[in-house]
Amino acid sequence: MSGRLVLAAALGAAVLAPLVAPTYQALLMLPFMAYAVALLGLNLLFGYTGLVSFGHALFLGIGAYTGAFLTSVFKVRSMEVILVAAAALGALVAAPVGALCVRYVKIYFGMLTLAFGMVFYTFVLKFYRLTGGDEGMPFLRPALLGRSLEGLSKIDYLVGPYYYYSLAVLVLATLVMWRIVRSPFGLCLKTIRDNPTKAETLGIGVARYRWYAFVISAVYAAVGGALLGPPTGNVDPTLAYWTQSGNIVFMTLLGGFASFFGPVLGAFVFIYLQDWVMSIVPFWRLIFGAILAVIVIFAPGGLAGLLTPRPAAAPRP
Amino acid sequence: MRTTRRSLLRLMGAGAAAATVRHDAAPVFAQAGGPVKIGVLTIRAGIAAPVGAAGLRSTEWWLERVNKAGGILGRPVQLIVEEESNPKDTVERYRKLILQDKVEAVLGGISTGVTLALGPVADDLGTPWLSWDGTTQKGVEETMPNPKWAFKSVDNEVEAIVAGMLTAKYFKGVKTVAGIGNDYSYGHDCWESYQAVLKKYTPDVKFVLELFPKLGVTDFTSHIVAIQQSKADLLMCSFWSGDATIIMKQAAAVGLFKTMKGVFTTAGGVHDSLKKEFTPEGLLLGYNTMYFDDPKGSPLLKQFVREYKAKYNEYPPYECDHAYFCAESYKAAVEKAARSGRQWPEKAQVVKALEGIEADSLSGRRSWREDHIQMCNFYQGVTTHKNPYDFVTIDPIEVVSTKVAMKPAGSRLFDWINSWKI
Repeated sequence: MSGRLVLAAALGAAVLAPLVAPTYQALLMLPFMAYAVALLGLNLLFGYTGLVSFGHALFLGIGAYTGAFLTSVFKVRSMEVILVAAAALGALVAAPVGALCVRYVKIYFGMLTLAFGMVFYTFVLKFYRLTGGDEGMPFLRPALLGRSLEGLSKIDYLVGPYYYYSLAVLVLATLVMWRIVRSPFGLCLKTIRDNPTKAETLGIGVARYRWYAFVISAVYAAVGGALLGPPTGNVDPTLAYWTQSGNIVFMTLLGGFASFFGPVLGAFVFIYLQDWVMSIVPFWRLIFGAILAVIVIFAPGGLAGLLTPRPAAAPRP
Repeated sequence: MRTTRRSLLRLMGAGAAAATVRHDAAPVFAQAGGPVKIGVLTIRAGIAAPVGAAGLRSTEWWLERVNKAGGILGRPVQLIVEEESNPKDTVERYRKLILQDKVEAVLGGISTGVTLALGPVADDLGTPWLSWDGTTQKGVEETMPNPKWAFKSVDNEVEAIVAGMLTAKYFKGVKTVAGIGNDYSYGHDCWESYQAVLKKYTPDVKFVLELFPKLGVTDFTSHIVAIQQSKADLLMCSFWSGDATIIMKQAAAVGLFKTMKGVFTTAGGVHDSLKKEFTPEGLLLGYNTMYFDDPKGSPLLKQFVREYKAKYNEYPPYECDHAYFCAESYKAAVEKAARSGRQWPEKAQVVKALEGIEADSLSGRRSWREDHIQMCNFYQGVTTHKNPYDFVTIDPIEVVSTKVAMKPAGSRLFDWINSWKI
């Protein structure tokens, strides 16, 4: 019950943020919501299936570049079309990539996903004429629900309609993922994570289920990537670089991959902590590295693990 | 506003400076409220960190002088420094400076990959942005021909154009040219521009090899072998970071420049690492827009070089001057805009005053063109060992204005080059 209250309070705060928070703080919620969508997907793979991907920036990049191509090359400005196209392209690319990657587990899976991520990064960097190379591509202001909203200044657009649009996408993505992880399919994934051999003997197609999880997580990452584009107004290869993959794994660890909302909490803390630390010290990356080390060593359950009361120890016989 | 240790110290410094100066200078403006807050965006990590450090150091030098002299219209100046990194994060830092820190202007921006994203954001937020070294060019063409709030650096390819002109002057008889540059837009754009210019002066020149190693590579052995095998008369190199020093060293080890001329369009950015022991005389070397050892340099340049060397034990690279001019031209524009009234000028009035303004930079007078692009001089010359340093300098020194070497407002680069009458 208290969990539901916290959730309702968080949602209420998110709804009120553009009205009561300083504009800049409300703007920071935009990358948070985009990453949160991506992390819900990543955690289906990481927390629920037991596969750590170091290449999910590939799908963030696909989502962001889909939006950039549609708005600046094909003159398609509908955000709904962009999101559907990003999801479809994410799935299309994830299907063969996932089919190859899920044949392996642990570090081999991680390295393969990293390799595919870097192939995409190199593609967008090198195919200069097509993708703009290091200079990237503009992601023009998308229309929301058929309304162009050109009359609004960019800031009013971002902290107004675009903010609530992103929030709606996040809520929808959360509800869908909630259903997924609580469905028999989600139970199968957890079984595979905990004991793949046993899952196999129970008749679960381990590789097939892992592949499903991979494709779903890619769709989420691509949608997150598409949401990341409009606030910056430009997409570039760094969105697909391995450090971006590292960041989203960090966010998941920070929040706690064992909890459904852990990665979302991780994204929130990461974005606001980075904003704060960057303004104070030039060597903020060092501080983030230290935080990651502390979490891995002392709080493997992440922030969500610290906040969740531990179950009482079973009485000794 | 959030007060950090750094901003608090700066504010205290600014306050102390203001307390020591005459207060009758501009009492009305001084009452406008607290220090003038100026945001600075600079690179602090990675290959371009030394470039960012140079820009920040000279901005801090400017700050100290300005505050000692009474600030801007009697108001002390305070810098709020944020990091330039990737486009997404830098856009967020930029918005923070304006929306949260409420700065009057933002200075900085080095990478065009980042400033391309900043340009539209600057125009949207309605605060002057004066870019140190970043443009809003896509390749060699301008994407913001009529900006409102964005003031941009010189076109990226100008140093390659100047190098093309000077190649024709100093290396007559060159028939074959090999090129090497970093594998990103700057490297490719410099090479294309250089070829177009050189072809204009020497129509029968042949470009026999082009190599684009990744930025940050530290082993050029295979590239140097390929360059040797090309048997080109001349090598054009647009490296601007530590890789310029590395390739020079590795080329010297195999005596590359004993059989080949060399043109380093931008290596002056790391000039004091080009030691005499491995950097030969007779190369064409570009220092971008400031040459620290200019015998005709102003007293301001000489003072800056002296103090910079004393403080950092280095000789300043060109980024210092981009940064200095941005800060100084902003000050000049505020003072110009204030002449018409007794109020601290609105941001829009400052922008109006910036258009076409001329101000002192370390390398001499610079200005902002009507399309908000910086106008200045480029310094290139032939390397020499005849100096008191342990690194090369240039003699003779060629000074080429952007009026000659940069495409005019509204024109396309290759159309403009093709229109030259030589």
